[in-house]
Amino acid sequence: MHDVIIVGGGAAAMSAAIYSARKKLSTLIITDEFGGQTSLQPEICNYPGFLEKDGYVLMKNMRKQTDDLGVEIKETADGIQEVSFRDDHGKEIFTLKDKNGNIYEGRSVIIASGKKPRKLGVPGEDEFYNKGVTYCATCDAPLFGGKTVAVVGGGNTGLDSALLLSKYADKVYVLESSDKIKGDQVTQDKLKESGLTEFLINAEMKEIKGKKFVNAIVYKDKTSGEERELAVDGVFIAIGMIPNSDFLKGVCDLNQWGEVVISPRTNATSHVGVFAAGDITDVSEKQTIIAAGEGAKAALQCYKWLNSN
Amino acid sequence: MVKIYTTPTCVYCRMAKDFFNQHSVQYEEHNVMEDLKAREEMVSKSGQMGVPVIDVEGELIIGFDKERLSELLHITS
Repeated sequence: MHDVIIVGGGAAAMSAAIYSARKKLSTLIITDEFGGQTSLQPEICNYPGFLEKDGYVLMKNMRKQTDDLGVEIKETADGIQEVSFRDDHGKEIFTLKDKNGNIYEGRSVIIASGKKPRKLGVPGEDEFYNKGVTYCATCDAPLFGGKTVAVVGGGNTGLDSALLLSKYADKVYVLESSDKIKGDQVTQDKLKESGLTEFLINAEMKEIKGKKFVNAIVYKDKTSGEERELAVDGVFIAIGMIPNSDFLKGVCDLNQWGEVVISPRTNATSHVGVFAAGDITDVSEKQTIIAAGEGAKAALQCYKWLNSN
Repeated sequence: MVKIYTTPTCVYCRMAKDFFNQHSVQYEEHNVMEDLKAREEMVSKSGQMGVPVIDVEGELIIGFDKERLSELLHITS
């Protein structure tokens, strides 16, 4: 039995663990993957006091802090699948179950399970995954040296992917389904300067085609209504993130996007004893520094709650 | 012999290498961004382009699958 079980492996989870371990709470972290989205960021330039920029290094530093504090980390494929409750002399005990059927029990829970990339949902997307289709430009961009690639999504993630790809690829298409590229103007300007990027707005993805590997995409030009085919070797999908909150249905309130609704002051969810922090929540901004702050806040509030119960 | 095909920017490659170092597993690294021969070898062996690809004595693992690696390398954590 742990005092607190933290679900997640990113900045919110690590920060919550540091704070709860320093309050001498027996703390267990359960995650399907250590590092969260931060570890995939090659350049973090807005985390105060952190000059190395490399997101993986930032997360490794946090991991070192939790390890030094003796926090137990359980890495389990596919993370937590189910949260249930049982009564123990009038107090609620939380039972968390992973895919392999392992059971973990805690007196309180902090949910910090973050988000994962949204899928397009078009034919060919699953079939050609890792055969030209990828969700991680940081990982795979260097493999597309001299090739033609498409980035789907004109938001910041899409434009950052395009910028990274323009270092390697010969030609980068950016497809956006709305009538405007929404990512930062600074990045758009850089992409225009590079001269390798072509922006296609009102472009709705229809299909990813190929033989062994991707060789084309089909999109609908919403202005003319025509379907067009582009020859590409790779498709980088960057159309936003969805919360890892399926296992929380019926446990606590989620908003229309599946984010956990929290009290902004206490990080409490609608279920007493369950707190949440970071990108999984309805917090107004999704940033590493905010996730870290929210994790700390959730842990301190959880500590107070445990003490008064 | 453990072979790992990587790109310099791939975080899962770094996680895998950290894992090897942590458990004193010797490995041979092939950077498929620069080494085109290794890239071809990786794609033909694995039939896909995602990194890392890890070859443990002929057993192929795509991605950083810690549980499978632990099994193949007889690592108990």
